Amino acid sequence: MKSEILYPGAFPMVRVELTAGEHIKAESGAMVACSPTIDIESKMEGGFLGALSRKFLTGEKFFFQTLRASRGPGEALLAPTVPGEIVILELDGVNEYMVQKDGFLAGADGIVIESKMQSLSRGLLSGEGFFILKMSGKGTLVLNSFGAIHKIELKPDQEYIVDNSHLVAWSSTTSYNIEKATSGWIASVTSGEGFVCRFRGPGLVYIQSRNPGSFGAWIRQFIPVSE
Amino acid sequence: MSSNALCFGHNHPASGAPCFVQVDAAGLTIIFEFTGGGGDREVVPFAALSVSAGGLDHDHLVVKWTGVQGEQTLYLKDQDAIRAFRQTAPDDLSLHFAQAAELVRQVRQRRRLVWGLALGMFLSTVLGLWFGSDLLVQIAVSRIPVEWEQKLGESAYRDFLAQQEVIKEGPAVAALGEMTQRLTEQIPNNPYKFEVTVVKSDVINAFALPGGHVVVFTGLMKKADSGEEVAGVMSHELNHVLRRHGLERIVKSLGLLTVVTIVLGDQQGLVGMMKQLSVELLTLKFGREQETEADVTGLQLLQRAKIDPSGMIKFFERLSEKDEGRMEWLSTHPMSTARAERLKAELAALPKKSPEPFTFDWKQVQASLGAQPVVAP
Repeated sequence: MKSEILYPGAFPMVRVELTAGEHIKAESGAMVACSPTIDIESKMEGGFLGALSRKFLTGEKFFFQTLRASRGPGEALLAPTVPGEIVILELDGVNEYMVQKDGFLAGADGIVIESKMQSLSRGLLSGEGFFILKMSGKGTLVLNSFGAIHKIELKPDQEYIVDNSHLVAWSSTTSYNIEKATSGWIASVTSGEGFVCRFRGPGLVYIQSRNPGSFGAWIRQFIPVSE
Repeated sequence: MSSNALCFGHNHPASGAPCFVQVDAAGLTIIFEFTGGGGDREVVPFAALSVSAGGLDHDHLVVKWTGVQGEQTLYLKDQDAIRAFRQTAPDDLSLHFAQAAELVRQVRQRRRLVWGLALGMFLSTVLGLWFGSDLLVQIAVSRIPVEWEQKLGESAYRDFLAQQEVIKEGPAVAALGEMTQRLTEQIPNNPYKFEVTVVKSDVINAFALPGGHVVVFTGLMKKADSGEEVAGVMSHELNHVLRRHGLERIVKSLGLLTVVTIVLGDQQGLVGMMKQLSVELLTLKFGREQETEADVTGLQLLQRAKIDPSGMIKFFERLSEKDEGRMEWLSTHPMSTARAERLKAELAALPKKSPEPFTFDWKQVQASLGAQPVVAP
């Protein structure tokens, strides 16, 4: 699987080249265009129960798309639903990433996707929900964000504070705690930050430059109310 | 040889350098992979290492040392490598291992505890609503005035009588009147005005509506061997009214939200809703607990009124033995030997009183109904 980001910026697409017989997983509905040699199948990754738990627990789609180059090599164009950047990560079998539920766009066949339960406080307050996707295995992983993607590199024991709804993905060698944004409870809410995640290295944290929840709240005021 | 660990340090990328860790008697051998073959290797003696637990779920073994390249941190997740490390490491490191393992256990335990508590709270809320709802229903029922109950019963009663042939006078009405009189005299602070109606029908049934209307079918009177048996059924039905069982059933069927509304004080909107439900009153089935309650309190009432309570038990027993298609009382009052046994036990516990017979002759009452009395088996 060779991948290339087209039109980097707010409205990117990713072009994926597949050799004959190769297949990749993609978020349901991600395919924009593809060569006629590629077959699109829907697949319940992780079996029926796994798909069911992913659907109900993480809010991810029940089916993933499988794009299979069954009749010879070909390419496919994939795009996320929301405007925002795409990032390509290479997993080497050792590093693992936690990905928030809307962050997954596509992955090579060697990528293993699991739903993972977070601790109660993280589930309630991190803004990611109780379940996140854990990506492991070997191969290319394509993530998407809302807005631009920013990579934070953390040295061992280095700390960084991230607003909870701006998280996209983070490596499993990092750990984080939920904290109030300011020392007081009321100030935490009125500052508009509420809760933040204090990340501790080593590892990488990918954040998005826009907050989908806040954007939704902002855009709601412009939607005409139908009678 | 595939990587089983990530190494962090100034000379490595922030995402960590994949490496292969080998454990032997000398210490850790860390082999870094480079694309295109042969990589660096670094041998670190055990004495230079410190271990702890880390990572998102505290499931990584973190090994730190200061090497030629400065401070290095190794994140190990591979179970085989961790096991090998633990087994080969000298004793002074095993204490650190124990501490790291203890930390992991604590984190897991705390997480389990928090989830357990959350689940427990959720379950207790559900259970509380489930079992507490009976209490809520009772509170709600107690807040509904008797007049409303009477109005409700009244409209159901009119609906029912419109299609029935009522016996207005005669020995049967007089006999039932006497029974009602003797029973109601024994009810202290009775807020209800009981009115007994005899309806001509071969159906073996009797029922009571909220507010005090009691309907007895002639079929039941023909079936009974004595006035005491009918009085037993009457006493049972009167206690359904006194205990407001009908109202309880209605309130329950209205749902929890309505119950809460009643408890919190808004009863106005309810009257209209209950009027619509009055038709359903006729097909209302009481719960098993309500039946038992009416049985027991009915028995006590008979005792106070000095009516022989064994008539009630006898009648129940006889109904349970026979299954004669038209015994509707059975469909709403499922008979069982257990029920009769229970009543017998209750009766034995009550103080003995000498019963006073009724003034009417039951055979004549039955004759006036125009049918041959059913001979007891």
